[in-house]
Amino acid sequence: MAERRALDLRGLDGVLLALAAAIAAHVASLPPWVTLLLVAAMTWRWTAHRRAWPLPPKWLRITIAMGAMLVVFASYRTLNGIEAGTAFLVLMAGVKLLETRVSRDLTVLVFIAYFLLYAALLRSQQLQALPYLLLGVLLATGALMRVHAGAAGESVRDVVKRTSLLMLQAAPLAIALFVLFPRLPGPFWGLQASHSARTGLNDEMTPGDVSDLSVSGDPAFRVRFDGPIPPPVHRYWRGPVLHEFDGRSWRRARGQTFPQQEVVTEGDPIDYQITLEPHDRNWILALDLPTAWPEREAFRTYDFQLLSPRPVSDVTTFRLQSHVRFRAGDSLPVSMRRKDLQLPDEGNPRAVALGRDLARRFPQDPPAIVGAMLRMFREQPYVYTLEPPKLADDAVDEFLFETRRGFCEHYASAFTFVMRAAGIPARVVTGYQGGELNPLRGYLLVRQSDAHAWSEVWIDGRGWIRVDPTVAVAPDRIERGLIASLPENEPVPGRLRRDSEAWLQVTLAWDAANDFWNERVVRFNAAGQLQLLERLGVDEPDWRTLGLGLTASLAAFFVAISVFLAWKYRRPPKDWPARLHLEVARRLRRRGLEPEPAEGPVAFLDRAAQACPDLARDLAEIRDVYAALRYGPLPTETDLRRLKHLVNRLRT
Amino acid sequence: MRTLIRGLRARVERRTRAWLKRRQGPDRDPVELHRRRIYILPTRLGIAYAAMVFAMVLGGLNYNNNLGLGLAFLLVSLGLVAMHHCHGTLSGLALRLHATRSAFAGEEVRFGLLLENHSRVPRPRIEVGLDAAPAAIVDVPPVGTVPAEIAVRAERRGRVPLARFVLATRHPLGLFRAWAVVHPEYAAIAWPRPADRSLPPPAVETDTGGAQDGARGEEDFAGLKPYQAGDSLRRIAWKAYARGQGLHIKQYAGTDVVSHVFDWDSLAGLDVETRLAQLCRWVVDAHEHGEAFGLRLPGLAIEPNIGTAHLDHCLNALALYEPGAAHG
Repeated sequence: MAERRALDLRGLDGVLLALAAAIAAHVASLPPWVTLLLVAAMTWRWTAHRRAWPLPPKWLRITIAMGAMLVVFASYRTLNGIEAGTAFLVLMAGVKLLETRVSRDLTVLVFIAYFLLYAALLRSQQLQALPYLLLGVLLATGALMRVHAGAAGESVRDVVKRTSLLMLQAAPLAIALFVLFPRLPGPFWGLQASHSARTGLNDEMTPGDVSDLSVSGDPAFRVRFDGPIPPPVHRYWRGPVLHEFDGRSWRRARGQTFPQQEVVTEGDPIDYQITLEPHDRNWILALDLPTAWPEREAFRTYDFQLLSPRPVSDVTTFRLQSHVRFRAGDSLPVSMRRKDLQLPDEGNPRAVALGRDLARRFPQDPPAIVGAMLRMFREQPYVYTLEPPKLADDAVDEFLFETRRGFCEHYASAFTFVMRAAGIPARVVTGYQGGELNPLRGYLLVRQSDAHAWSEVWIDGRGWIRVDPTVAVAPDRIERGLIASLPENEPVPGRLRRDSEAWLQVTLAWDAANDFWNERVVRFNAAGQLQLLERLGVDEPDWRTLGLGLTASLAAFFVAISVFLAWKYRRPPKDWPARLHLEVARRLRRRGLEPEPAEGPVAFLDRAAQACPDLARDLAEIRDVYAALRYGPLPTETDLRRLKHLVNRLRT
Repeated sequence: MRTLIRGLRARVERRTRAWLKRRQGPDRDPVELHRRRIYILPTRLGIAYAAMVFAMVLGGLNYNNNLGLGLAFLLVSLGLVAMHHCHGTLSGLALRLHATRSAFAGEEVRFGLLLENHSRVPRPRIEVGLDAAPAAIVDVPPVGTVPAEIAVRAERRGRVPLARFVLATRHPLGLFRAWAVVHPEYAAIAWPRPADRSLPPPAVETDTGGAQDGARGEEDFAGLKPYQAGDSLRRIAWKAYARGQGLHIKQYAGTDVVSHVFDWDSLAGLDVETRLAQLCRWVVDAHEHGEAFGLRLPGLAIEPNIGTAHLDHCLNALALYEPGAAHG
């Protein structure tokens, strides 16, 4: 019995390995107990297999399965969607392990492994996912082969080799299908938004927050300009605009909307294409200030944010136009003025006093108030740091008059606060500032660490004016980036440190590869298909061209693999003595002689020599040389040449 | 309803089998499985795999997830490659009959096949069987042969034909099953089932020793002779074997040669099959006791002799006896 079980469960180890690889991508996002349960089930199954323990009874297995389903449902409120579906699949794999007895059960587990791989790809389509996908498929398919190959699947090396060969043979058709299979213009059923947290800007700013983002070197978006790349001083990428302040945090004006303000542009427009990494929010980080955008994919709010109607949950590209010189707004509606002058009823008394004092010193002169505030930042010992001290209740007061150490949002927050206290409508704008040119593919890369916050103040007759108080403290922040702007004795988080030029090149190359991957693979769509066909020389390609191409590549695949297999399974060529003997027999057929089924070459040649006295001498020699080649102790090349010569000389 | 479906299925299967046989014609030994006679369909696992991949394609199209689609297409392609490999594993395989093993009616006769692989690629997991359910699974090595056996239950004595058998494989991934049906002209012999030991064998004819080796008898030990295949196991000199002298049989000398002749006519009044069964019983018992025996059937006389070849000769005569021919 034990022996039979061992035989039936051949390949259990491979299946467990494939499952482990498939689940590896989900560990970070699954609740820990789900992973733990699966690991426990895998360990138990393996031990049970080695020790020949009995499997749990049916009622217990059913109870566990139902329990798992209920728990998943209770914690996710659904079984639909990627997260809940993944957790459910993982638990089902665990339950299946408890009842795995025959090769069919193992195959089901392999299928679950394939599905988990698939779910991992739905979650992330980064470049790193490609080797993971290939490795996962290799392991799962290898496990499948091990289950079904019998004794031939015993050598792991052999299985890996044969599975890799299968995958290599499958690759051309897979690529053809990928390129030619018609894509849909849009989803045909609703998208289940992912709930996983992604790095990116928040719609709320509490001084101290953005600095977490600042240490992340992940790309936020990439921009390709049609014309020259604007200088760093103009690279402000506009994100959420924050109006409401409660003493600690700035928030968007939720549930309120205000009339659109007119924008008068100056100078040439800047046309560009922005490719956002998925951040699951609606904002499109347009260059300040967006002036043209695709109507169906985006809209501009009253405070000049560009928003997408749907959260950006995939790598998405927008074609936009911006102006860096503009006059935003003619007049300020009363409701908006009230909104952007709002301050909490109490708290931060010293900052309020400072504002009122500035208003008294420069009556009716907002530019002078702004200048005085910036001068204060510049002249007093304020420090730009990535590790600001924690702030207590009156955060603005504490920062302005005690710690004086802060990051961009401390300055933006304090500046906006004081402006409002001085009677100037002001708001905080968050987004990104800067960007790094990647010369390899000619685009501007903006990283999460380029996140920034600044202020906008309303000045009658001039509209909304951008004021970046950080510049007053750390002028290099704009021209040379975040690291250069830090004072020398300020700590730099490890991930941001760049010590060598070589490393810089590596990161640039890696990002260029990512950009290529996003452009050509992740965002490959119906339009991309047609473009590719056009580049391949097809005139006016449409879906019929795709269908034709698909059919042709399938046919080519079938022919190629059939030819390949016929070649692979061909009979090995006969060796030379055998071929020469066949040639002798062919020549002797003219004399009416043919070898009997049970007659060996030597006997046949003897008989032939008797039947044809004229050839007797040659045939006898052929027989002797043949025998020497075949059965002699030392067959030589000379013998073989002699035999060829004799056979060719044979005249029948 | 269920019987109706079962009946319909049986009918369809009968039709298919008949059509297949007409299409291929009878096979002559040795058989090489040409690729045109190999059929292939997805297994249940293969259908489940296809459904899974289909779901992946739909999901990938819907979510516009190119990497998911890439995985799905890789799996589609892998499935198709596996299909061709499955077909290739069977295509070009050759087989021949190398031995049959007879048995008594009611037992199983066996056909020993030799599967030959002419190519330099191994052909693993070849299933051999009368039907879809394999009787044996063998791995055929590259440029080599491997034996496989098919057992057929013999309902009655006579020739048992092997009219149809199936070679199949699910290699390499179990997603497809390729199979070929062979209609050979092989036959094995089923002997009559021996009757119960109710009727004692006829009296021993003692003086037929002249027809035999004069030195043989049952009474006095006359020495050892090297064992030859066919000698009765009862006569093996185990003591000599234990001494390391090799296998020998004991020889006896004497005039009292026990030699039966089992005669068809001594069983007058019984029907043909009963008579054959009785003769068969006597023949088998006599062989087991190491006694010489002869056989008389209408139109056939086998002189008394001993040994397995003689036994087979007699049993085959009983198996193939045709009453019409005897009386006519």
